[in-house]
Amino acid sequence: MSVDLKALHDEIDPFFYPRGVAVIGASRKDKKVGHTVLKSLIDGGEFPRPGLRGFDGGIYPVNPGEKEILGLACYPSVLDAPGPVDVAVFCVPGPAVAGAMKECGRKGVKGAVILTAGFGEAGESGKKLQEEFMVVAREYGIRVIGPNCLGSLYPPGNLNASFGITLPFSGPVALFSQSGALVDCIIDWSIDEKYGFSAVVSYGNKADLDVPDFLAWAAHNDYTRAIALYIEGVSDGRRFLEVASEVSKIKPIVALKAGRSAKGTKAVSSHTGSLSGSYAVYRGVFSQAGVILADNLTELLSISRALAHQPLMKGRRVAIVTNGGACGVMCTDYCQEVGLELPDPSPECIKRLDGTGLLHPAWSRGNPFDIVGDAGPDRYRAVLEEVMSSDRYDGVIVIQTLQAVTDNLGDARAVVETARKYAKPTLAAFMGGMISAEGIQYLADHDIPNFFDVKAAAYTMKALADYGEYRLRA
Amino acid sequence: MKIDAILDEAAAEGRRTLLEYEAEKIFSEAGIPVAPGRLAVSAEDAAAAAAEIGYPVVMKIMSAQIVHKSDAGGVKVGLKTGKEVEAAWKEIVANAAAYDPEASIRGVLVQKMISVPDGREVIVGASTDPQFGPIVMFGLGGIFVEVLKDVAFRVAPVSREEALRQIRSIRTFPILEGMRGAGPIDFEALADLISRVSRLMLEHPRISELDANPVLVDGRGARALDARIILA
Repeated sequence: MSVDLKALHDEIDPFFYPRGVAVIGASRKDKKVGHTVLKSLIDGGEFPRPGLRGFDGGIYPVNPGEKEILGLACYPSVLDAPGPVDVAVFCVPGPAVAGAMKECGRKGVKGAVILTAGFGEAGESGKKLQEEFMVVAREYGIRVIGPNCLGSLYPPGNLNASFGITLPFSGPVALFSQSGALVDCIIDWSIDEKYGFSAVVSYGNKADLDVPDFLAWAAHNDYTRAIALYIEGVSDGRRFLEVASEVSKIKPIVALKAGRSAKGTKAVSSHTGSLSGSYAVYRGVFSQAGVILADNLTELLSISRALAHQPLMKGRRVAIVTNGGACGVMCTDYCQEVGLELPDPSPECIKRLDGTGLLHPAWSRGNPFDIVGDAGPDRYRAVLEEVMSSDRYDGVIVIQTLQAVTDNLGDARAVVETARKYAKPTLAAFMGGMISAEGIQYLADHDIPNFFDVKAAAYTMKALADYGEYRLRA
Repeated sequence: MKIDAILDEAAAEGRRTLLEYEAEKIFSEAGIPVAPGRLAVSAEDAAAAAAEIGYPVVMKIMSAQIVHKSDAGGVKVGLKTGKEVEAAWKEIVANAAAYDPEASIRGVLVQKMISVPDGREVIVGASTDPQFGPIVMFGLGGIFVEVLKDVAFRVAPVSREEALRQIRSIRTFPILEGMRGAGPIDFEALADLISRVSRLMLEHPRISELDANPVLVDGRGARALDARIILA
């Protein structure tokens, strides 16, 4: 059995490239979901941010009780919308969804985003309502996101079909989250961080579309270079494994899995039964599928971004270049802890570096490359040229501790220049704040991930190595 | 076919837990190495079995009603002669009858007692996960499993290459690589065993759980010393 990722992508793509979007249950009342969604479509979000724009395709509020909302003509039914409607966002109460779905079917709608709660998660009557609208959706071939979700956001198309706070910046990471609240937190955080997303989808009860579908879409979406997942559980484990294994061959997936503590007591009659708490099983599944496991939210986001921007890592051998001994030692510890190798430089390399006359006589002549506290950009560049061009190293961590003579912008330029020249996975730990801001900003502007803590740098490097290993064997 | 016949028989008798000798027969059929042994149905038969297998041997009571064999006095180890085997037979059967007079006794499993100087005990188990279906667990035996829960899972089927990665992923992996004079274990044999367990689970969905615990692995092979199979 093999999956046709492209076919799945094409089926879901109208959610992100609709010609027109209808809001079923648009509301005039501020703070109502039907109002927020409409405003988000028009303006890009309830909360403004620099450069925010709204959707420039057709926007059609639907509500039989209104003539006009937020300056747009309001229609009694989606069937009355004058232009084509590819996506309908549902904000109406549960019992009204199936009826409106039928009208969407007749209108030719391809995707329904159902924000309304009170379905599968709310007992038998809710389950019945969910089944009712799903029967209609299947009849008309409408794919469904939700119900009980925040909706979907597609920054490259200025499309905010959700009641999420605002469209984040456009960027290379696609985020799919079982939680809607988490999406809002992440978007809010991402603005200052200039962290960009190719798509953000909160998929709620997954009555129809589930994680594997979104993975397949992202695999063939041109803006997406890495995929971040927040999951509590998957509905069809085998399908997840199968699709994720394929998608990982194309783009990296990073997952944060909630629910680590042992679940309820199932009658167990063997060791294996009692040890197969689901988190342990997920660890194995992720490893099998090439999915990188994030320990926490910070890791989920930083590893996804690093994977999106950094070239494929071809092995586990890392060079640490540092102007501070302590930080080099700490970084060494963390690298060893996660199974990264730190080979020493060749005698020829040491000789060449000594020959430049740029290095301090007391430099380490080993890995970590401790180039001493008075190192300037020339010294960083000389050592980086060596390690970036060397077959001995698969990745480089560059540490800069801030000292009185440090030229943080010059050092950052040396890092960017050499990393680009040799296309080698590179992470920085420019350890500082206000005074190092220029250099740190320069790294960010040139997509070199920077970490205050060398532990995060080491763990991220491990993720790059793990993904590289999967790609090499897959 | 032989595997199905054993499963059919247990199902027909309404037994969910197979007897150890049945589980080991299934392992053998699936190409999973086990300690040589067979069911004996009398004291003389036990002595004959031991002579065929070679000494020393272990003997274990086989009764559907007796799950905890040691508690019932149903296990004897290190038996070196036919005389010892015959005496052990009588003792085991008497102990079992005293432990549970209602128990129906199928016989006694006579098994080669295997000890290797550089052997290490690991556990290979499988169960059926509600989300992922048949899954295979690997870990070091003893306290590593019970206290540290240092185990790794994979979804079946598990290729030999994937099994090698699974083996390497546990924290206590260095013990398998060798320590205190013991060399590295036979990783290929262990990976093959894991892979075969995963295929057994996939090909026989009637098996809901199994344990090969311990699996004794040294520099020249891996074999299950105890087997447990539970039906769905």
